[in-house]
Amino acid sequence: MNQPKSTSTEVESFRPTLCIRLPAHLLGRLYLLFAIVAFELLFCFQGRGVFPGHLKFFEANTDVYSQIPIFAYAVFLGFGHFRLKSLQEKLSFSRILFAGHLLCLAVVCFFTVAARERPGWVLFDTFGYVKSAFFMLATALLALACVPYRSWMAAIRATGRLWFYAILAGVAGWWLGSPIKLLWGATMTDQSGIMQRATLRSVGAVLGHFLPDLVVDPATFTIGTFRYSVVIAGGCSGVEGLGLILIFTSLWLWVFRKEIRFPQAFLLIPCALGCSWLLNILRLCALILIASTGGSEAFQTGFHAQAGWIAFTFIALAFSLATQKISWMRKTPAPASGNTGNLPGGVTGNIPGSSAHLAEQSGESPATRAYLLPFLAILAAAAISKLVSGYFDWLYPLRFIAAAIALSYFWPELKKINWRFGWLGPVAGVAVFLLWIAPSWWAHPPAASRLGADLAALSPMARWTWIAFRVAAAVVTVPIAEELAFRGYLARRLISREFDQVSFTRLTAFSIVLSSVLFGIVHIKNLVDWQHLALGTLAGLVFAAALRWRGRMGDAVIAHAVSNLLLAAWVLGCNDWAQW
Amino acid sequence: MNNLHRYRCVLMALGLAFCTCNVAHGLVFKPHPHPEIDPSLAISAITLLAGSLAVLRIRRNK
Repeated sequence: MNQPKSTSTEVESFRPTLCIRLPAHLLGRLYLLFAIVAFELLFCFQGRGVFPGHLKFFEANTDVYSQIPIFAYAVFLGFGHFRLKSLQEKLSFSRILFAGHLLCLAVVCFFTVAARERPGWVLFDTFGYVKSAFFMLATALLALACVPYRSWMAAIRATGRLWFYAILAGVAGWWLGSPIKLLWGATMTDQSGIMQRATLRSVGAVLGHFLPDLVVDPATFTIGTFRYSVVIAGGCSGVEGLGLILIFTSLWLWVFRKEIRFPQAFLLIPCALGCSWLLNILRLCALILIASTGGSEAFQTGFHAQAGWIAFTFIALAFSLATQKISWMRKTPAPASGNTGNLPGGVTGNIPGSSAHLAEQSGESPATRAYLLPFLAILAAAAISKLVSGYFDWLYPLRFIAAAIALSYFWPELKKINWRFGWLGPVAGVAVFLLWIAPSWWAHPPAASRLGADLAALSPMARWTWIAFRVAAAVVTVPIAEELAFRGYLARRLISREFDQVSFTRLTAFSIVLSSVLFGIVHIKNLVDWQHLALGTLAGLVFAAALRWRGRMGDAVIAHAVSNLLLAAWVLGCNDWAQW
Repeated sequence: MNNLHRYRCVLMALGLAFCTCNVAHGLVFKPHPHPEIDPSLAISAITLLAGSLAVLRIRRNK
């Protein structure tokens, strides 16, 4: 009799709270500061090639000297973790200083954009020193906004001489950076390119069994046949995959540290790195084999680009599964699927404090599958179609089919969602469409795209079949799958782990904005595609507003579908293929 | 005794060191001649991975 009552009380007392909030204590604030500065350096002011105006300090570009403070800060945080964590005083966040930080960043942005667009506007700052000074001021203001001055002093006192050793480590890291790069560097000295050489020899050893006319030139890192050959560049040596795998595995072990047994789990890191190296060798072998046996150039392009990402995703998933499923890696054996055992008193559940119990506590809602898998099916189908396609994505219909299968599979669960819609949905869709194509009206000449030419080269039957699937996907499967993923799951998951219990009318400004920005990021086509980032974000905001209006998923989906339908009509009517 | 206490410094230093190396050297985000660094591919792959991990972490006994 008591059990239903307590459940009812839990439901009644349920209050969605913001899962992501500013850390209250020193250590969290220091990590927050690190994350913000890293983000700003990476996405806004990196300077190399993206913007002609570099940040400059002491006659050198930022990327030279920024390594020392970044590395030193990381060492300070990593090795001072325990002492810094013991400082539990709650810190205030200075909004005034943060506003000053944003103001300084706006000045830096102005100089950066002005230097690129209107060189004559920044005559007095040809070398970027004023901009750099503003950037340093912005960083200092941010540091003080996140952590008050007295807390900085307390942190330095609590960690003794660590700040000094951290600076030494930073200088050492900067000094060692260049020699370490020689491992995969493309110079021709004996000491350079060790990874390239190893990759070259490994690929040669494998391909020697299949290609009798294989030619290997260690001097230029070239390998192939008379039909096709590749140069094993630094990136092809697998170093980027190794770096990504190392970052992923380290973060995964850290995040789920309470469920995982150490040091056993550390063994998985070299295993994952080894797999990454081997799969890169296989990727290169497959590329050369396919190209040498008659594969098209377009196919090679798609395969070359996509195979590495598929390998990374595969290894990362295998790693996470290994930490969850291998009993030796867990603090307690993994429970059998769906069976969690019985506690004394007839209560079903895991022993409190056990890793299985912790996994249950940190696990995702079962509704996650129905909301995410249709979108993941589209992404997986896109990965496969890009793998075997070249510039023209001829397997695009696979995305429609994959999403349709996923949606029909989960339809018994999804049909409980309110799919009805009112007048606002179509109106919002028209508004998003107008926003989306607005830049095309004043773009002279219009953005170039080879899609139109690729389609024209097809037979009429193939061309119209492809277009029919493209339109059907844009109007039916993509709106449903993306709205389920971004508004149905992500926007509510940012509010509560039990996202399916959160009403759409209770979406917060934070969850709407962040999910919309991520929606925008998914729509960018290159690193400086600010236009699609902004348009995608705006579209996400409009769809979220339509959803929140009456709390109906149908309003957001119909808005999305109408905008995509109008865009399809625009593309076909105006031959503006760049919009696809 | 949580065994991790012995190793978390190592773990933290490893993760941070390689993250910062990546940041400092701009390995991933610098303009790159190789097609693997096409950001749309990278974003799709990372989104696919993140979504798959969320699905893999679903509670079994609700």
